[in-house]
Amino acid sequence: MITCSVTFLPDNITVSVEKGKTIAEAAQIAGIKLKMPCGGEGSCGKCAVKVMSNRVSDNVEISLDQKFEQVLACQTEVSEDVTVEVPVNARLGEHQVLLSAEDDNALGTFAFEPLCWKVTITLSPPSINENASDWIRLKGELGKIVGDEEVIIGLPLLTNLAHMLRDASWQVTVTLLQQDGYVEVIDLQPGANDEPIYGLAIDIGTTTVVVYLVDLCSGKVLDRNGTYNKQAVYGDDVIARIIHSQEKNGLQELQDAVVNTIDELTNQLLKKTRIEGTGVKAITIAANTIMTHLFLGLDPKYIRLEPYIPTTSQFPAVKATEVGLRSVPNANIYCMPSVGSYVGGDIVAGVLYTGISQKDELTLFIDIGTNGEIVLGNKEWLISCACSAGPAFEGSGITCGMRAMHGAIERIQITPGTYETRYETVEDGKPTGICGSGLIDCIAKLHHVGLLDRAGRFTADTQDTNRIRNNEEGKEFVISWEKEAGVDNDIVITEGDIQNLIRSKGAIFAGIRCLLNSLQIDMEIVDKFYIAGGFGNYLNINDAIEIGLLPDLPHEKYQFVGNTSVKGAYMTLISRSALKAAVEIGRKMTYMELSVGNEFMDEFVSALFLPHTDLSLFPSVQSN
Amino acid sequence: MAVEILKEKNRSAVQELVLGATSENGGTRTKTITVGGDSALPFHQFEGATPNRPVVAMEVQDIKPEWNDAVLKYFADVADKPGAWAKKCVEEYGADLIYLKLDGAHPDGANRSVEQCVATVKEVLAAVGVPLIVVGCENEEKDHEVMTAVAEAAAGENLLLGFAETDNYKSLTAACMVHKHNIIARSPLDINMCKQLNILISEMNLALNRIVIDPSIGGLGYGIEYAYSILERARLGALQGDKMLSMPIIATVGFEAWKTKEAGASEADYPEWGPQEERGIMWESTTASALLQAGAHILLMRHPKSVEIVKKQIEQLMVSNAY
Repeated sequence: MITCSVTFLPDNITVSVEKGKTIAEAAQIAGIKLKMPCGGEGSCGKCAVKVMSNRVSDNVEISLDQKFEQVLACQTEVSEDVTVEVPVNARLGEHQVLLSAEDDNALGTFAFEPLCWKVTITLSPPSINENASDWIRLKGELGKIVGDEEVIIGLPLLTNLAHMLRDASWQVTVTLLQQDGYVEVIDLQPGANDEPIYGLAIDIGTTTVVVYLVDLCSGKVLDRNGTYNKQAVYGDDVIARIIHSQEKNGLQELQDAVVNTIDELTNQLLKKTRIEGTGVKAITIAANTIMTHLFLGLDPKYIRLEPYIPTTSQFPAVKATEVGLRSVPNANIYCMPSVGSYVGGDIVAGVLYTGISQKDELTLFIDIGTNGEIVLGNKEWLISCACSAGPAFEGSGITCGMRAMHGAIERIQITPGTYETRYETVEDGKPTGICGSGLIDCIAKLHHVGLLDRAGRFTADTQDTNRIRNNEEGKEFVISWEKEAGVDNDIVITEGDIQNLIRSKGAIFAGIRCLLNSLQIDMEIVDKFYIAGGFGNYLNINDAIEIGLLPDLPHEKYQFVGNTSVKGAYMTLISRSALKAAVEIGRKMTYMELSVGNEFMDEFVSALFLPHTDLSLFPSVQSN
Repeated sequence: MAVEILKEKNRSAVQELVLGATSENGGTRTKTITVGGDSALPFHQFEGATPNRPVVAMEVQDIKPEWNDAVLKYFADVADKPGAWAKKCVEEYGADLIYLKLDGAHPDGANRSVEQCVATVKEVLAAVGVPLIVVGCENEEKDHEVMTAVAEAAAGENLLLGFAETDNYKSLTAACMVHKHNIIARSPLDINMCKQLNILISEMNLALNRIVIDPSIGGLGYGIEYAYSILERARLGALQGDKMLSMPIIATVGFEAWKTKEAGASEADYPEWGPQEERGIMWESTTASALLQAGAHILLMRHPKSVEIVKKQIEQLMVSNAY
């Protein structure tokens, strides 16, 4: 085996790899995270790196820029020792994940009764007249606590029971875990033991993973952590992931990636709070159906194929060791149930958190992500649908798009007449790209100053301003010149990007319309709109209405609720009744398939306009 | 007690649009043509007015077209003389107006110059007194030059110029505004896209009563039911007060009908189908007649015999059925 050394600059990390491996594989070994939204197919061009010594074999004929000798890391094999420079825009930055601090009193009407809890019990010793077995004696006492439900115990704990009871003078601390329909004894400790126990509430998003570390005795969130889903290197959206899962070892790689992500986040949390991983007893997970499948190692293949069937929508309780979570070996994992193939446990969690299913008022809940999921209902009924919005709002498939992380442009102002721009970036970093909220802002403002017509095409010509220029596929607008930017190119938005975003917003708006039309409900009748998603907190509602993403309704009807997926998971972790409610939500929610019939297509095409073909739907935008 | 007949009441009507200008209005036409204005479904004269009858424009090209002999033989003597051709259409075959297609401008074809195209338009204007519809060769760049020049050269004639499409509507709209012509807004068989284009054009401040819509059609047997439903939806929209769907409709009947196999295949190849010319005429006139019922206002046709049949039918449909 011939090995070559690959040196990455400016990090100056050198790793040895087998000859024939790609630069991307070497980067992974070096711990350098490259952007690869296409999953390493060589089609997106985001992982371009500069070769400093010219000794690689580029096995595809993609030459991005001759003067720098740029190559695609995912397509370029290492044939000799080589040094490459990884530009800032090819790196996956630290992701800004929404970590809200408003989770206190999240329970609402649900009682605080954690999924996993401890009780100390003193038994009366047996006698010749009262000769029930040790376990029956204990079970009888536990029965008084848990009520009707069956209590069970496993063999490993039983083997210790006899000695423990007698050594501790018949006093024992039992750790109980609520399972589906029964309660399981998961730990026994002699005497009265008030050692705290912990739980994790986790949101596995297609893009990001968020973990809450919770003290199960008090219900308090001790800390939060979030990062990219490591699966991102295998593709940006769920479809790309499903495709990857069908490759050799693909499913295992995807499961490992998400498990590693959780382990990494959890270890950081445990270290920071000085808590032992063995103290974590319960985990609740909210994720879309495909993410849940991949986490549990279930093959998602048939979700993608008509008639779109998942393996299961109710997931069994599993032990941490069964899925390979190493940071919390004693944990028992509960995954939120799904509704359909494209409406998952994350949406069930969102409905639970927002309390839609307990209220009289009619509420529409929208979770905007790569998939847009919409739920409408109240305490009597719930209906949901999902539409593929595409990853544009998360910055993918957009020339200078990026996720909402350091340096992402999230606000833009354009001066009428001169077309000069001012912008704000995440964490005030030098601009490296545009995130979803920036893109929405940008389109709204371009239309506002008259540079863009309602079909999303530039009305101005290159002679009107030097910010408008021609590219191979049409025109583009320069938001930030190279000299101001944190990357070595101008940051632009192209006509193609705009078309892409119009399709995304059109899909979401069409989804809302179809759902309401199918029930013959007017927008105005809906009392409340909840907007969720990692994207939601940065969304300017005026812009969103102006481009026709959200219906033109009084702003007070809208409420941003942030990442409701993890919040719902947290609720179920600290409330058994909330968990039962979640199961009930999953069971009672109707799923409407939008791909049946022509209506969605019709609505979609009429929404491919700024803000909409039917301008009467947007009176406030018209009067601007 | 008398029976009260329920009638559909419409809130609004189709825009009325005038084509051509006589000398009083700065043009040289001997007559003008008004289309649209309907305040009911097509020919429902018992429910609303149909003030103007649908019209037939006969197609003339600037170079000898590669048409089927069954059509071309009627124009053999004039096929390379657009002025004479147009005159024949009007005088012999009763065309209400002339539809001049500047196909010869196409860079991959005859590549006629802008000046030649303008000369052809002038030739036709001089030869006939009826209003003119002029369209380009459907090459974006060339049409930009040609149609701008045509609009300027024919300023005051109040022409109908085409085609504006979503990706390419700005220069033609501007030309129509500056030189006071009307525009054909063409969309691909989709009511939403039809409407979107009308919004885009009207946002450039061209008046709504200067737009004619070509929602695209299919010939008989080639998707005419789609065309029918789009035309019908546009008319219903107009009647319900949707200004952005309230324009008169133009339909490329001759082009669609004569490209079908049923119209063009020779009798030698398909003896069981009967005489070819008769078939072609029936195909064109049936396509036209279906679209009349759906709400077309201007029919672009080719064969003299089809024109005769359709004109007769229009006459009969215009007899009032009000009660």
